Amino acid sequence: MMELTRRDFLKVGGATAAGAVAFTGCAPSAREGIIQSPLLMPEDTLNSFENWYGSVCKQCSAGCGIVVRVIEGRAKKIEGNPDHPLNAGKICARGVSGVQVLYHPDRLRSPLRRSGPRGSGRYTSVSWEEALGEVAARLDALKKEHQAQSVVMAVAPLRGVAAIITKRFMTNYGGTVYSFETLDNTVVRRSAEAAFGDALLPKFDLENATYVLSFGANFLEPWLSQVSYNRAYGEFRQGGGERGTLIQFEQRMSTTGANADEWVHLPNPGTDGVLALSIAYVIVSKNLTSAANIRNATGGAGVVALRGFEPAEAEKKTGVPAARIEALAAAYAKAKAPLAIGGMGAAGHTNGLFNLSAIFTLNHLVGNVGRKGGVLLNPSGPTREFGDQIAADPVRAWRALTDRMQNKQINILMLHDANPLYGLPPTVKFGPALKNVPMIISFSSFMDETTAMADLILPDSSYLESWGDYVPDPGVAYETLGLQQPVVNPLYSTRSFGDALLALSKTAPMGDDMKTGLAWETTKDALKALTTPLYEANRGSIRKTEGGKTISQELWWNKVLAAGGWWDERGVKATPIAPKAFASRDATDPKFSGDEKQYMFHLNIFPSAGVADGSMAHLPWTQFTPDPMTTIAWQTWIEVNPKDAEKMGLRTNDIVRVDSPVGSLETTVYVYPGIAPGTVAIPAGQGHTHMGRYAEKRGANPLTLVDPEMIDVSTGALAFNATRVRLTKTGKRYQLPRIEGGAVEAREPYDYTVIQVTDGKGGGATGGH
Amino acid sequence: MQERKVLTELQINDRLLWPVLETASWWWPAVTVAALVLGCGVTAVTIMVTLGEGTTGLNRPIFWGFMIVNFVFWVGISHAGVMISSILRLCQAEWRRPVTRAAEVLTVCSLATAALFPLIHMGRVWRFYWVFPYDFDRMLWPDVRSPLIWDPSAIFTYLTGATMFVFMALLPDLGILRDRTTGWRRTFYAFASLGWRGNPRQFKLQFILGILLSGLILPVFVSVHSIVSWDFAVSLVPAWHATVFAPYFVIGAVHSGVSGVVTMMVVLRAAFKWQDYITPDHFDALGRLLVAVATAWLYFFMLDLLFAIYGGETREVGVMEQRIFQWPWGFFFFLIIVLGYIIPVSAWMFRSVRRNIMWMFAISIMVNVSMWLERLWLIIPGLQNKERLTFDWAVFQPSLIEIMLVFSSFGLVCLGLLMFSKFFPLIPVWEEKEGQLFREEIKIGNRIVPAIVRE
Amino acid sequence: MAEPTTAVKERKWGMVVDIDRCSGCQACVVACQSENNQIISTEDIVQQKRPHVWMRVERYWEGDFPNQKAKFMPVMCQHCENAPCEPVCPVYATYHNAEGLNVQVYNRCVGTRYCANNCPYHARFFNQWERNTDSPWREAFSSAQMIAEPMNDYLNPDVTVRTKGIMEKCTFCIQRIRRVTRTAKDQDRDVKDGEVQPACVQSCPTSALIFGDMRDPSSKVTAKLKDARAFHLLEDLGTKPSVTYLKKIDPNYKPAKGH
Ligand SMILES: Nc1nc2c(c(=O)[nH]1)N[C@H]1C(S)=C(S)[C@@H](COP(=O)(O)OP(=O)(O)OC[C@H]3O[C@@H](n4cnc5c(=O)[nH]c(N)nc54)[C@H](O)[C@@H]3O)O[C@H]1N2
Ligand SMILES: Nc1nc2c(c(=O)[nH]1)N[C@H]1C(S)=C(S)[C@@H](COP(=O)(O)OP(=O)(O)OC[C@H]3O[C@@H](n4cnc5c(=O)[nH]c(N)nc54)[C@H](O)[C@@H]3O)O[C@H]1N2
Ligand code: SF4
Ligand code: SF4
Ligand code: SF4
Ligand code: SF4
Ligand code: SF4
Repeated sequence: MMELTRRDFLKVGGATAAGAVAFTGCAPSAREGIIQSPLLMPEDTLNSFENWYGSVCKQCSAGCGIVVRVIEGRAKKIEGNPDHPLNAGKICARGVSGVQVLYHPDRLRSPLRRSGPRGSGRYTSVSWEEALGEVAARLDALKKEHQAQSVVMAVAPLRGVAAIITKRFMTNYGGTVYSFETLDNTVVRRSAEAAFGDALLPKFDLENATYVLSFGANFLEPWLSQVSYNRAYGEFRQGGGERGTLIQFEQRMSTTGANADEWVHLPNPGTDGVLALSIAYVIVSKNLTSAANIRNATGGAGVVALRGFEPAEAEKKTGVPAARIEALAAAYAKAKAPLAIGGMGAAGHTNGLFNLSAIFTLNHLVGNVGRKGGVLLNPSGPTREFGDQIAADPVRAWRALTDRMQNKQINILMLHDANPLYGLPPTVKFGPALKNVPMIISFSSFMDETTAMADLILPDSSYLESWGDYVPDPGVAYETLGLQQPVVNPLYSTRSFGDALLALSKTAPMGDDMKTGLAWETTKDALKALTTPLYEANRGSIRKTEGGKTISQELWWNKVLAAGGWWDERGVKATPIAPKAFASRDATDPKFSGDEKQYMFHLNIFPSAGVADGSMAHLPWTQFTPDPMTTIAWQTWIEVNPKDAEKMGLRTNDIVRVDSPVGSLETTVYVYPGIAPGTVAIPAGQGHTHMGRYAEKRGANPLTLVDPEMIDVSTGALAFNATRVRLTKTGKRYQLPRIEGGAVEAREPYDYTVIQVTDGKGGGATGGH
Repeated sequence: MQERKVLTELQINDRLLWPVLETASWWWPAVTVAALVLGCGVTAVTIMVTLGEGTTGLNRPIFWGFMIVNFVFWVGISHAGVMISSILRLCQAEWRRPVTRAAEVLTVCSLATAALFPLIHMGRVWRFYWVFPYDFDRMLWPDVRSPLIWDPSAIFTYLTGATMFVFMALLPDLGILRDRTTGWRRTFYAFASLGWRGNPRQFKLQFILGILLSGLILPVFVSVHSIVSWDFAVSLVPAWHATVFAPYFVIGAVHSGVSGVVTMMVVLRAAFKWQDYITPDHFDALGRLLVAVATAWLYFFMLDLLFAIYGGETREVGVMEQRIFQWPWGFFFFLIIVLGYIIPVSAWMFRSVRRNIMWMFAISIMVNVSMWLERLWLIIPGLQNKERLTFDWAVFQPSLIEIMLVFSSFGLVCLGLLMFSKFFPLIPVWEEKEGQLFREEIKIGNRIVPAIVRE
Repeated sequence: MAEPTTAVKERKWGMVVDIDRCSGCQACVVACQSENNQIISTEDIVQQKRPHVWMRVERYWEGDFPNQKAKFMPVMCQHCENAPCEPVCPVYATYHNAEGLNVQVYNRCVGTRYCANNCPYHARFFNQWERNTDSPWREAFSSAQMIAEPMNDYLNPDVTVRTKGIMEKCTFCIQRIRRVTRTAKDQDRDVKDGEVQPACVQSCPTSALIFGDMRDPSSKVTAKLKDARAFHLLEDLGTKPSVTYLKKIDPNYKPAKGH
């Protein structure tokens, strides 16, 4: 081994601090890290020489800052970036699993051209030049035939430079961009727009709130921004100020529900909006808040705007007793820093927009919008370009696209990180429609369900091998830009999506207009160019001029890379607009698919803790991440209330058939004490037919049960909680892989000295020992 | 005072040495069956060592299972030999004569089998020698605080003692065999008999050695199962660290060991046609002994239960609750009591049963089924409900590999006995002859009965 | 405290777990897996009740619907001062070091599993399966077959990879302790409070976990030891754990009856 002197150490350390990527020349060795000597005690652990690189996590849409530990050119461990304002050094299970994306054995390693019938899985490896040439030729031909509009680019929601390149590429060419997300945030975005006048997701300032009403928002699990919400939750509990109170309304106890001080079960699903408006009614009618707030929230109409939502009325609809509604309203209005959050549980109904905008408007009612501990609005991004985004399209748009495909109006379908074949309910018939698309091109780095239909695959590099950026979404309420850099040399012959598009735009036959706005050679060039205004602006965390000394843009760039990004605490959003007074009344009452007699259970679908909506199903660690509530890993299950289970003679590990009006599947029962009788819940994310060895042939995909006719009437987003199902015992059993022992029905600690609680007053009472 | 048939020396030689000098028709088939059974175990061990202990049913927190149960069981069986030989020898109980050797050999075979189990149970068998102090240079000492250091010491001491015991008692017979064989066998016996001539001085020395060894081995006999019990009693596992474990384990061992001897004697009697040597009198005597042993065992069994209740410690009571009321432990509890005490002891109350060979055979097997279950019942539940972190409580289900291992251990013990019987007489020829010397005929009522004066 | 910085300082490492902060998010569980080269607990292995979770988040249900509650409690090796696992190990593969750590010497372990039986916290994990899968028939029959090339490239070179038959458990990330103390020694200074961060502590988004020197009167952990909410797990066993828990607060708490 090379001898490192202390001076060398400082030198290399310094270089790291400046953010230069020290590419090691050597290829990854086959095996390493096995140190075995009969004499070495752990006391004498050998420490290797490590480098840390700042980057951005791309494992979900939150965009936390990360630092990656790199030893001998190999990424070893991902940690949170302590400087990044979103996650301040913290990270979630999925973020940690990033190294498995990089070193996944089933990654696609070079461009592939189909050599058998579609879906046969037979591909031959081709060179990048050949593959890009083929795409360019096809695009060129269609352009010449004036068929450019028949080219569709389907991507996962994108932000920043990737969004810019994609948009400009497709706009210049003349095609359309669609964005796909299995459980999309459309309703949340549109409701935020309705309530706060801004389609950007707001920051709910949980950290400084003291009383939180959360309607079906599982913010402690992968909803929106897991790490930042968990971080805030810790402070909310024991941050030094008043210990916050969390009230959670939901059908099925989520992790957030388990952490709530009060868990309020909503007997009638989809009635969150009614409940919220009833709370508003009490506050307004009893004048529990200032006149200005009432005026602001009701558009000057006062209590008239809330007629029909008297607690007694609301009790009928929601099933929550009127007295409880009044008590909640009083406590909410009285609290020092009240906050109302609405999430997927409330959004996933046919009246989603009504629900969420009603909930969000509760914040205006206590005047906490733009206030610490309330709802903070996010600036779009440090520059207009970085604020650019391609948000998910609702299922309505996807059904329209499917029809176009079916009618042979689409000639080329390009896919990047979008897997609609898995994520759309099968009754949308996206699969059959694909047959009518002459050419399918995928930029995926893994063989997923849709990619398996592709004619040409141009594999993307992993996020640890490529350049990029990310403005956190939702943000931290001030301008933040995370920068992503390659931490290791690309392992295979892959190219980042942005680089591939840029290369494509350079190919001559496509015509000059392709080049407009895409002058950059690579994504890195694009990033450098796009950050120039930030350098020139001379503000924020890293400035052009510091203490009278001006630094070069190159040095500034290196510093930004080393820090993992750039942020400016003073770059905040101007004042919010007044809401459109409890905006949507399109549909106050939810509708359900499936007749109540035949289909006895409401079906709840929730993203699983580890594999989320299925986009993370390919990694062993995310598969293993135990569901916090059931502790199940690697599998799909269905949660059934103990009373329902008893009635049907079901036990944990029994396999049941679940039928909805549109589909059916078989899965295993977990008797779940935290779910309402008459409701069952299935986590999304499993049931893949393609996606690498860890994901395939495992569990079931509950989206097959969802009736795609059930959409939020206002936005067209899929109402994934609006289908009813029926359960049939199959007599088969399957041992659910659970972390809990499950030997006895040991629901409670055997004796209370195990987990102790206090009443929060004196810290004295130990759980009855 | 016992009845005894009059047998000439010639008859004794013929009847007792024939299995050695000739080969019984069933011997080869029996060896084949035993070897096949053992082969099962060899296969199981090979699979287990290659793939890992994952092939067993062990999980977290149940880290010990069938192999340890079987270990305790065979150590228990090994208590028969010394119990019978040394105690009866010291007491000069005359009826012991035909029984001693077989019992001692059973001790050696079962103890050797038992010793194999902790060994193969180790995750890294190939490092087993690390439990011995061998690496003085690098100061790699074993930890003497661990019962797993006391355990091998006790077992190897006992194994050595028991082997010497067998050998000591074998010397005169080796002499006889030397004189009756030719070729390589003669050479072998000549070497093994250490120049035995059968002169009075040699007999005297051998007699003294017998008494000495009997005296010396008795404490080892008591210690060995006490120490085995400490594997459990010094631990923190609820219902394992019971203070009564040491005597309780010893008496349990005697119970199963003596029953094991009964089973074996029935088989020997039938196989070698030794009806004249192993008589209903022996079964009668052993039956009476067993009544006392079984009752003592039940007493400790109950104490163990009661102490948990007296202590009133939640976790102990919890484990006891599981042992008595939960499936399948409650069922095992029932079987243990019924098969280990109620049926046998009530049967042994009747002289006719004690003297009925087939009854004794059936009952002795019943006792050992009960005793095997008892060890299972003692070891597993405490681990299943270990401490109060109920989140991790799991159940134990043995795998096929473990079942094969247990099954094959019977094959190994049988094979050991069969091999021994091919090379050495299982009933000590010289002891029988010595016994005949003490024979006399006495008058009971108006009947003249052969009897032995020394009792 | 003015003291010579070059001398080995008497330390006693300890962890504080604030159950009131913990949300049960499982970040610590996976962070520990990643840092410490744990096997991938495949579906088979989890079904067999043998998952390796040096850090696990226990979930306890309480009450009945609709007054249902659930509580989370992260549990790892408590690094007991009176560790029941230590004296039963025949080969000194687990012992106590001068800094209060319960150390596990993988290379010395012969796999008797006695320590694991004797650990009341169920904190020990046994490598039941051969994880090396270079032989096809092992591959076919072993459950631990999922670390496929090139995934071993992310293994941490500071941590031994354990083979079958070896006991393992939370080490308080001793490799990180060593790295920090050595760096501090090189720079001729004392280790700063909070400088040593085990992987779980570093990741924990809610900051429910704190790590530090319990002998340092100014450290964060020492301050928490005096907290009114502090208690130890299974305190009555007298194992003197180095992990201190802070009670959960439940404003609606009513003491259970019958206690
Ligand atoms: N609270 C409580 N107190 C009790 C009892 C109780 O049940 N509860 N029981 C009482 C009874 S019955 C008894 S017998 C006593 C037992 O009490 P003690 O006689 O104190 O016995 P131990 O505590 O078992 O062991 C004493 C010490 O001897 C050490 N030791 C072991 N072997 C050796 C050796 O070879 N040499 C030396 N020098 N030291 C050795 C051990 O490590 C241990 O530290 O306790 C009595 N006190
Ligand atoms: N594992 C282990 N075994 C040991 C020892 C050891 O330290 N560890 N020590 C050895 C020594 S030195 C001794 S003296 C023995 C002691 O062995 P035991 O005499 O068995 O002593 P304990 O287990 O302390 O007490 C037996 C039970 O009696 C219960 N009890 C309490 N009060 C009463 C009462 O008033 N009446 C009745 N009937 N029961 C009551 C207790 O709760 C307890 O469960 O153990 C020996 N064996
Ligand atoms: S919350 Fe999302 S972005 Fe943040 S660490 Fe987790 S997966 Fe990565
Ligand atoms: S928690 Fe268990 S493994 Fe850790 S020191 Fe204590 S007894 Fe040993
Ligand atoms: S399993 Fe290893 S560490 Fe545990 S007692 Fe046995 S040898 Fe010691
Ligand atoms: S301290 Fe280290 S080894 Fe222990 S649980 Fe945390 S991460 Fe794992
Ligand atoms: S990372 Fe922190 S909050 Fe999450 S489960 Fe672990 S201890 Fe709890």
